[in-house]
Amino acid sequence: MSATLRIVLIVGVLLYFIIVYIMLKKKLLVLKYTLLWLLTGIVMLVLVLFPGLLERTTHLLGIELPINGLFTFGIGFMLIILMALTSIVSKQAEKIRVLTQQLALIEKEIKEKNKGERYK
Amino acid sequence: MTEKKGASMRTLIVIPAYNEAANLEKLIDDIVNYGENIDYIIINDCSTDDSLEVLNRCGANYINLPVNLGIGGAVQTGYRYAVCKRYDIAVQIDGDGQHDVSYLRDILAPLEKEEADIVIGSRFLNKKGFQSTFTRRIGISFLSGLIRILTGIRIYDVTSGYRAVSGKYLALYAEHYPTDYPEPEAIVKAVTWGACIKEVPVAMKAREKGHSSISGMSSVYYMIKVTLAVILCKLQGK
Repeated sequence: MSATLRIVLIVGVLLYFIIVYIMLKKKLLVLKYTLLWLLTGIVMLVLVLFPGLLERTTHLLGIELPINGLFTFGIGFMLIILMALTSIVSKQAEKIRVLTQQLALIEKEIKEKNKGERYK
Repeated sequence: MTEKKGASMRTLIVIPAYNEAANLEKLIDDIVNYGENIDYIIINDCSTDDSLEVLNRCGANYINLPVNLGIGGAVQTGYRYAVCKRYDIAVQIDGDGQHDVSYLRDILAPLEKEEADIVIGSRFLNKKGFQSTFTRRIGISFLSGLIRILTGIRIYDVTSGYRAVSGKYLALYAEHYPTDYPEPEAIVKAVTWGACIKEVPVAMKAREKGHSSISGMSSVYYMIKVTLAVILCKLQGK
């Protein structure tokens, strides 16, 4: 891996961490759902700081170029994050359904109670 | 009879409960028999057991959450109810029966005397009663040290849910309360708001029936998450 590429990657990962940190601090991101992003960043940082490690794991997968190995890991992590997000969204959809129904039922109950009182 | 300063403070016991059907009846009895005529509200966090039947049978005062929020959300619901009904003090007592009701006076006293804004019942001050497992104590010790580094305040039992909060800080908690594993984070939050926190010794009982929500591998996740959450909370400031 050329020196230029290494520097670009290190700066890239650091910028990534700064952005995630700022968003967390401003409460734009909730920590619970950001943990996977942080883990990804740490793994990327380690691989970029220790190119020997990157080379070995890349060759273990049968990939020639270390940079391609880095992309593969990146894509792998992104798939995991997307899957996790899909799972979260699914759970939230279920919760929203329950809330909607409950709200509607309560409204109905209130209407019926009011109607009853009007004819007293 | 001499009027104690703050004796007219209205107090509400907030009881978050998730699948504690086996423990609820005794807890309600203990509170009613405590004799001080303190109000309580049980927050049924969408339990999947027959907690609802138990609550109806006992004629308990409860709120039913339509969706499970976890202990953070359940306790915050109790705090919002307290603010809504204009209570001055809210005390959290867990639905699993581990918090001994007989220490209620000890916990409320500093608040009524206006010596503190938040009081935490600590298992570790006098080392009486159930001291929790060895691994948990290590984790709690670590968090205690971390919180001291971040806030300068030394609290020994940072994960104790047996705590009371009054006035302005009750209102703040009703608006902003951490969702997951809230106890340590809530302490840091309160300190950034300027609260005065006091710790009093209590003895807790071992959990009688049911299951704890934190065990095994999830405790590793717990430690990482809470550590990051506490640090982030401090960095977020007000």
